Amino acid sequence: MSLALDTPAMPARPPWNQRIAQNLKDLVFNRRWLAFVLFLAVWQAFSLRMAGVGLVPSPQKTISTIWEVLANGLFFEHLADSMVRLLAGFLLAMLLGVIVGVLMGSRPFWDEFFKDLVILGLSLPGLIYALLSVVIFGVKLIAPVMAILLASYPFIAVNIREGVRALDKDLLDMTRAYKVGRWRVVRQVILPALLPFILAAIRIGFTIAWKASVLTEVFGASSGVGYMIRISFQLFAVRGILAWSLLFGGVMLLIEYGILLPAERYFARWRPKVKQVI
Amino acid sequence: MNTPAVSVRELVKYFGDLRVFDCISFDVDQSSLTTIVGFSGCGKTTLLNVLAGIEPLTSGSAEVGSGKDRTARLGYVFQTPRLLPWLTIEQNLMFIRPDDVDEVTHRQRSLHYLEMVGLKGVEHKFPYQLSGGMQQRAGLARALCIEPAVLLMDEPFSHLDEITAAGMREEMLRIWQETRRTILFVTHDIQEAIELGDRLIMLDYHGHIFDDIQIPLPRPRSFTDPAFMDIYANVMRSLLRMQAERAEELQVTPVK
Repeated sequence: MSLALDTPAMPARPPWNQRIAQNLKDLVFNRRWLAFVLFLAVWQAFSLRMAGVGLVPSPQKTISTIWEVLANGLFFEHLADSMVRLLAGFLLAMLLGVIVGVLMGSRPFWDEFFKDLVILGLSLPGLIYALLSVVIFGVKLIAPVMAILLASYPFIAVNIREGVRALDKDLLDMTRAYKVGRWRVVRQVILPALLPFILAAIRIGFTIAWKASVLTEVFGASSGVGYMIRISFQLFAVRGILAWSLLFGGVMLLIEYGILLPAERYFARWRPKVKQVI
Repeated sequence: MNTPAVSVRELVKYFGDLRVFDCISFDVDQSSLTTIVGFSGCGKTTLLNVLAGIEPLTSGSAEVGSGKDRTARLGYVFQTPRLLPWLTIEQNLMFIRPDDVDEVTHRQRSLHYLEMVGLKGVEHKFPYQLSGGMQQRAGLARALCIEPAVLLMDEPFSHLDEITAAGMREEMLRIWQETRRTILFVTHDIQEAIELGDRLIMLDYHGHIFDDIQIPLPRPRSFTDPAFMDIYANVMRSLLRMQAERAEELQVTPVK
């Protein structure tokens, strides 16, 4: 794969409503939908083939279940519970991950100190944290929060560590030569340089976090998306499992396209556009 | 005119065990253009970094401005532009605004010096949208916009092609004559040093000043001028002598 730099004059930014319209258009008229259509077709064929067993519901049935839980508000109730746990755990993981990452990136002592902990954290499956937290904390809010925190922070820490290591010493020397204040250096030099790494950390940390949160809810919670998946499982309602999983996946896609990608695009506007040639 | 713009006294600097400067002293006159030459690795850049406060010194003193006035401003033009890539050119200049200058004044100065270095109209571009030469000009405008007492320049044109560099040298002289800033200019290019400087300080391998030459030639200077060639030959002789001494020392030093 080779890359070519494309540096045209910056076009004027269209107004925000046009940009949102453009984003929506991109979302709807996208060849990615082709993948979804193909997926649905395979699913349909599979469920027809397995019709006798009755364990694989058809897409139509699943979609009707999705519609049902959307219409009666059940989904939003449980989603809200899940999101509270997810956000609480993820924000704590972000805090811990950034602190650990900055320490590891800037101080050899702390790098050695945290190295093995982080490697362990990266390699242990989220299932272990989920089981442990449920056993130790029961159905309280702290159980999913702990599981998310432990599962997610190592991924955030390693990204931030790389970002801190990649800070440009020449630029920092420049700020010292011009005696620029510390706060301005943090805001205008260090944070922008760390931003791509912070965004990468958010993306991967968030994905790990929601997996851990659903797992904990499956094992020990009285509400939330994971809890509903367990209920469906106990009722042998495969279409419930599928419906709740798909819905939650949809929400994650919305967060990706609605928040993370636009943020990334906004913060990368000072970079030359990289065009993929092959 | 009496107080020197830069005053270095018995400066000693070590990097660990490595001695970079062994007790060097010199003064630089106000509004003068002094060049510092020497072989690679002899500490030219370190000297500027010590003056700029980026590197701590081991002992002695290196002061800019008169003794009491420690707040004298310094402009520093580096080998590479060192612009913040996520800020536009104007924002890059605004970024280094000193605390005692208000925003409006600093913006006016920024635009004034951008115009002086020939960058009018690109204030709102990002660095990546400019050529290497234009980025280096932006670095020069940044150094000038704080109206510094002294301008430190570290081989600022060494990364540019010769034609661009020649144009930049000419412009730098024009700007120097317009603004009368004191300039300390590091280079390894002897011809460039003689073309630009009032005075040439040559550093040796041991952290001493090997030679200190006044260059009283009128400007614009031309390499084909016999007086220019005389000075050039002198400086080259000095450098060759320095290298010969170095070779001799290396021979008597036992090989481990």
